[in-house]
This record gives sequence, structure tokens and C-alpha cells, in this order.
Amino acid sequence: MARIVHYLNQFFIGAGGEDAAASPPASQPGPVGPGRRLAQLLGDEHEIVATVSCGDDDAAGRPAAVGEIVALIQEAQPDLVVTGPAFTSGRYGLACARVAAAAKAAGLNAVAAMHPDNPGLDEAGGAPVVASGEAARLMGPALDTLAAAVKKLLAGEVLTNADGLVGLAPRRPRMADRTAAERAVDLVLARLAGDRDATEVPLPRFDKVTPAPPITDLSNSTLAILTEGALVPDDNPGALESARATKWLRYSLAGRDELVPGEWRSVHGGFSTVWANADPHRILPLDAARQLEREGAIGHLHEEYLVTAGNGTSVANARRFGVEWAADLRHSGARAAILTAT
Amino acid sequence: MLKRSIHRVQAVGFGDAMTWSGGELTVDREEARRLLAAPCLASVDVTWASPGDSVRIVKVLDVVEPRSKGPGGGGVFPGWLDGPPVDGPTHVLRGAAVVVAGYLPRAQEAVIDMTGPAAELSPFGSTHNLVIEFTPAPDADWAEVDDVLRRGALALAARLAEAALDAEPDETETVPDPGAVDGLPRIGTITNLQTQGVFKDVFVRGESFNGQEPALIDPAEIDDGAVVSGQYGHPSLRNPTWVHQNHPIASALRARHGRDVAFAGVVLAPEPVSASEKARISAAAAQLCADAGFEAVILTKEGGGNADADIALKMDALEDLGIATVGLFAEMAGPDGTGPPIVVAPERATAMVSTGNYDTRLSLPEMERALGGNELALLKVPATSAMELPTAVILASLGCLGGGRLTCAPAPVA
Repeated sequence: MARIVHYLNQFFIGAGGEDAAASPPASQPGPVGPGRRLAQLLGDEHEIVATVSCGDDDAAGRPAAVGEIVALIQEAQPDLVVTGPAFTSGRYGLACARVAAAAKAAGLNAVAAMHPDNPGLDEAGGAPVVASGEAARLMGPALDTLAAAVKKLLAGEVLTNADGLVGLAPRRPRMADRTAAERAVDLVLARLAGDRDATEVPLPRFDKVTPAPPITDLSNSTLAILTEGALVPDDNPGALESARATKWLRYSLAGRDELVPGEWRSVHGGFSTVWANADPHRILPLDAARQLEREGAIGHLHEEYLVTAGNGTSVANARRFGVEWAADLRHSGARAAILTAT
Repeated sequence: MLKRSIHRVQAVGFGDAMTWSGGELTVDREEARRLLAAPCLASVDVTWASPGDSVRIVKVLDVVEPRSKGPGGGGVFPGWLDGPPVDGPTHVLRGAAVVVAGYLPRAQEAVIDMTGPAAELSPFGSTHNLVIEFTPAPDADWAEVDDVLRRGALALAARLAEAALDAEPDETETVPDPGAVDGLPRIGTITNLQTQGVFKDVFVRGESFNGQEPALIDPAEIDDGAVVSGQYGHPSLRNPTWVHQNHPIASALRARHGRDVAFAGVVLAPEPVSASEKARISAAAAQLCADAGFEAVILTKEGGGNADADIALKMDALEDLGIATVGLFAEMAGPDGTGPPIVVAPERATAMVSTGNYDTRLSLPEMERALGGNELALLKVPATSAMELPTAVILASLGCLGGGRLTCAPAPVA
């Protein structure tokens, strides 16, 4: 009989919604919530021996959380780790993907379940991900797919798209026989001949983000200011990249009413930074934000700002930064944000 | 109709005079220094780097192909050189290049390797490169240093080719003018130029193209150096002057002109900064193509994800006018190729050519010599060290104008 550990967030173990999103990693024996139905579908051959859980903000926003989750999983000595289904939930999807990736890196078998548009998909690190619907009302079919995939994996088989496996085949570089210009002429002739499908690059899917509801009373809310304009302390202590950023950083605004020229610098490599450096408020409007705070138009200004460089940044990294920023801001109590872009 | 006299460069060296003989280009180093000298430069020198040499050129700014139509640079690089106009063939030293390399503020670190895996990816890994290195004078104005280097590189490129004006060419190329051919589809091209101010600018006939409107240009003018790069952004995704001089899309269309396509012409278009200007310029460029009778358009970009918007908006605007489009895109799919490849994709157009993945990692060997600087700015390591770099850093490796063979395809399913 194979041993399975199931990973769920705070909501699906019944601990609460956003109010419990900061709860730390925890483990309990046996299946919980959707795990009970999954256990039924798996039958007597396999057993969910433990359910490990964590709040979404903690799992997606605190760097050490994933390691702690995997340590709890390892205590239960599983043959397979199952995470989700996370549907389209960003923080939960990221956590499910990262836990599956970290479990795989630790030598465990793992599978995650989420919607193909979930930003976590890019973070699964080679662990298989099977499709689920968009929301928890589609839990039934999601668990059917997941249970079938689990049985197949435990039988030592490889998942295919027919099993609900999602994710594009990796794009690999190669040398073509002819130049891109010559191939472009062929492609345009095919296009003129009526072929609308011919392309070397598949059309990407993009997230359609549903905006959060407007804040009803900003004078009681904490506002954060964020930027992709790469504004950092003059000596760039966190070594933020000028292009192809792989990270974001945070710097304190506590006790500051303005950003003094010369103490701050934009390291962005995508535009002339002369005017940004002459007045850093052009990138990060701390002066205006403090003014609004004094006037009572906003409750408080969040006491740190988050920053990255949006220049040649991959969509995958940008999505990850977005999910991490959302988790971090929720964690800190900020309920509104202004993100400046260059 | 443009005629080109092609002189194939087999060997290079230094000597007492600028000479071209038997496939060997000899450079008078003193004369080169004099051509490049300016009050804002404390020193300037030239060095050869040839294919197969254990040399890494870092901090590359621009690359120019030596071309001349007559003494003093007449007829080439209009707006920059003031020789008398010449009506004759363009002499081309094919296989040679003048490379400017050295620190300028805000220029992104750009690398050419003369051997190893990166040499195969850049068009300049297989040219004999006369590398200009410089030290600015104390308190020199950087914009002036940039201007002086550009004028100097163009003058030097014209001077090198002048040595071949009286020589018998290895071959003569006759290049067709754009025009209609009965029964063949009229295919034109839009060349987007990333024009976003000092150090990220492109010049047309000597003037910044920043703030200009889309315009038709005679491609023969581009051959003769009407488009000059001052673009020091994304190294793999910029088009140095050499690439414009050899405009790969124009070449591919000319090669098939009268056979299965009619080469309809070239539209230059700026890549403005704001979203509203991008949309306005895209609509204007599409209308210009329609007015010029283009039935299909191949579009190219210059720059990173921001420039994806310029090409995608134009593709959709053209398709809305019933004009078929193909866009050349570089992918930004992450080091393992699993991320979304395009930052801004067209919504109604669908045909895209891939020129490779910006994020693919390369392991580059240790080199004996470095030119352009002692340190690789990105990694803060000696420029000669063995290092791992993304394709993004290799100059013109993702061939935005379509000159390269690099592409991407899905990995076979295991």
C-alpha cells in the first residue's frame, strides 16, 4: 500500500479564509476536506497518511515556509506527495507548485493540480501538474482527474496530456537550416495562401486579472507604493539587476518624508535614468504619498516599498513577483497599492 | 538599381598605408588614430580581432561594415560624412567590420566572442573586427564622446573601403529596386527602430529618428548607410549599423523578387515610449503600407518586451486593413524554455517567426585577450574568464532583423 501526503491551504482544511491566511505550516494524520473524497477515489490500495497545510500568505510570502512544509511531509515518509487542487488561486497555486518542486528536489515523487492559467504552473520545477477547473465548484471532476493521475504515477507510469497533464513542452534553442528572414518570406507566402495556423511561436495565453473591488474608505486603509523602476539606495545593497531581474527587494520608508537626490538611484537599464536620479520621486512618489497621509486622504502609508526592475524580465518571473507582492502586502495589512512603471 | 562591388576579406593586418591587395586589408594605425582623434578623447587606438582568435570583446557599442562609393566617404553614411555625392557601385569589404567598444554610461554590457559557442551566435564572431578602444578626456561630456566615436567609426569604415575603390571586385551584385511584378504578391517590410533618446537612439540620414513618423525609404539608401545605430540597449536585441547595411529582410525579399514575390518596399517606424504613441504610430504605419499597395508585410522589432508591443500592435493594425503579416520575435521563455515566450503578442495576427530564446544560458570559455574593457560589468569578473551568460548578452545574437539561423522549437515529448 502506497503512502500519500496531501498538501492543502488553510481554507480547504477548514481553518478559515483570509483571516487565517497567515497560519504557519502544520501536519495532521489522515485525509482532510477534499482529501477524504480523494481517498475514496483511490480505494484501498493507497492511503493518505497525513495532511500538511499552511496559510496562503505564509506559504507564498515567507521564503522559509516551503522548506518547513516539505520537512513536515518527509516526517510522514510518503511514496507520493499530492498538492491541491489549487484551481486559479494565485498564492495557493504557487504554494502547491513550489511544494511539489521542493518535494521532487528532495527525492520524493510529487504531483500538483491546478488550472492551466494558474501562475504557479511555471514554478512546478519539473513535477507534473494536472489540470483542474477554475474554481472549487469544480472540485468533483478535479479530484477524478487527480486520483487517476495518482494511480498511474504510483504504478510507475508517465503522465500524458490525456491524463490532464498541463504545461507546454519546453522551448529548446536550435539552429535552423535557413535564416529567420528567409523563413519569414515562406511564412508570409503561406499566410497569403490562406494558412492561418502556420507559426513558429504558439500564441501565448495571458492572464485576465479581475481587479479587486474598489476601496470604500481610503482614509482608514494602508496604502503601499511599489515600483518596477529599480529605485534603490545609492549603493544598491541588494544587488538588484538592471535587466532580466530574478528578484525583488524591499526598503524601509519609516521616518522618511522625502527621497533625497544622491541617496537613491535607479539601476534600471531600460531608460535614461538622469531625470529619475535628479528627483527620485519621479519613480517613487513618497512626497505625494506623505502629503496624502498628512491630509488624511489615506489612513497610513505602508512603511516599506517593494521594488524590482522591469526590463527584459521574463513573464514567468513577473507573474511570480506579482503573486509574492500580493501575499506580502496582505500579510502586512496594506489594502491598496500604487505600482509605478517606467 | 544598386550595384555592389564585393571584396572578400581573407586576411588583415597593420602596415604603413591603408591598402587592399589580394584579399588582404592592411590598416595604417597612425592614420586610423588621426581619423578618430577628438578633443573629448584622451586616447584612442585600434586592434584587430579575427575569427578563431582567443579574444572576447566587451562593452560593444556599434559595428559598421566598411563601404565606400568614392573618396572622402561621398555617397555613404549620408548626414555623417561630407564627401561629394558619387553615382557608382558601392564597394563592400565583406568579412570585415569596424567595432566600437568601451564604457559609456547606461550602455548595457554587450559581448562578442571570436571563438566558442557565442562566436556562432553573433554575426560578428565570423568577421575580421577592427576594434576601436578609447579613453575619454577628463570631464568629457558623455554624449559628445558617443557622437565623436560614431562619426569616427563611420569615417574609418568608409576609409578602409576606399582602399578597394580601384580594385577588381571578387563579385558584383546587382540589387533590384522595389516595385510591382505582374501576378506576384507585393510584400513589404516594416523595420521598427528603438528610438528612446540619448544612448538608445537610431539615426536616419544623420538625424535622430526619435519623434519621427513612419516613412517609406529606398532600401538602396539603407545599403549605403542611411540608418546608423546609436542603440546601446538589449545587446542581443539591437540592430547595429552593420545589420542595417545588410538588411536581412530586404535581402531575402530581393533574392525572390520576380520569382515568387514582388519586393514592395521598406517602411521605417519608430518605437515610441508611451502606449498611446505606440498605438498611434502603429495605425499610421499600417495606413502607409496600405497606401503603398503592400499586400503583405514582414515586421521586425528592436528591443526587449517593450518592443513586442510595437510589433504586435502593428501586426493587428495591418490585419485589420486586410494585409497579411508575419512578425519576427525573440522568445523570453526562461532559462529552461518553459515560460511564456512572448511579452506582448498580437491578438488578431497569428504568424510569428522565432529568432531564439533570450534566456538560454551559454558556457563561454576563458580567453587569452579582452578588448573594450578589463571587466565584464554584469558579473564583475575579469573579461577573459570562463563564464556563464544568457544569450541576451551576446551582440545581435537574436537577430531581430532576421539575419540569424537561431530559433526555438518544442522539445520532443519524452
